[in-house]
Amino acid sequence: MAEKILFIIFGVLAIGGALMTITRKNVIHGLIALVFTFINVAMIYLVTQAYFLAVAQILVYAGAILVLFTFVIMFLDLREFREMEQFYPWQKYLVAILAPIALAEFIAVVVTASWIPTQQGITPEMLAEIGGNTWGVGVSLFENMLLPFEVASLILVAAMVGAVIMARKETTPNVALRAWAPADGPQPGQLEQEV
Amino acid sequence: MQIPIEWYLILSSALFIIGAAGVLLRRNLFIILLSVELMMNAVNINLVGFSRFHETLIGQNFVLFTMAVAAAEAAVGLAIVTALYRNKRTLMIDLFNTMKG
Repeated sequence: MAEKILFIIFGVLAIGGALMTITRKNVIHGLIALVFTFINVAMIYLVTQAYFLAVAQILVYAGAILVLFTFVIMFLDLREFREMEQFYPWQKYLVAILAPIALAEFIAVVVTASWIPTQQGITPEMLAEIGGNTWGVGVSLFENMLLPFEVASLILVAAMVGAVIMARKETTPNVALRAWAPADGPQPGQLEQEV
Repeated sequence: MQIPIEWYLILSSALFIIGAAGVLLRRNLFIILLSVELMMNAVNINLVGFSRFHETLIGQNFVLFTMAVAAAEAAVGLAIVTALYRNKRTLMIDLFNTMKG
């Protein structure tokens, strides 16, 4: 019973944080609301006895990814955009109508489908039997998914190299990139001094 | 007392719809990236819930891979944001109309 109460509390907080994220005008405020949402999702993992994932969620999402976002926001000067219209003028009413309808469809499907519990679900006793959640996840990872694990490292390396190449300052003038630069915008040489 | 699987599905669909609404609604490229992260998290909740429901830990392995892909996506997305900002001096996505799409 306590589990269910905790699930409801953290779930409502997560949804509230998500709503804050997409409605704040200031990007930093939205980011902080998203950190709040991610921490609540980590708490839901804890309630589900996915202890390793709860810690990984806080470390990777709330720690690494959103700190990366914060750094990039600090690099770029976004103050001037806050005055601009942040939402699409009439599409927002359309979304406000369509999103609850889509959610109602999802919920109707989920509730009317019959879930046959063939098993009891993972219990703390079962986790204790196999040596804890982290042990179980590790054994399952390296027994069933060794190749995907290695491929994931390849994806990360490719993404890091791509990010470094795309985000670095251009030292040699690149004609192909300049071809689509706006004619009335600031000139490339002037930009590099500023950035 | 186990949490019923429907609760996980409802929570994750709510978060997913909110993320999709954020992608469709906002004009700021940053908020769109944040909404994509939110949608990935919603899928993770689904995977964890079903992992418990089916008494297997493979679903939790999938969440690890999703996190790796999310980290890669955030790095590449932010690099693209930086390059776009350097060239266009804005992050409002309807001003990126060079390709007339």
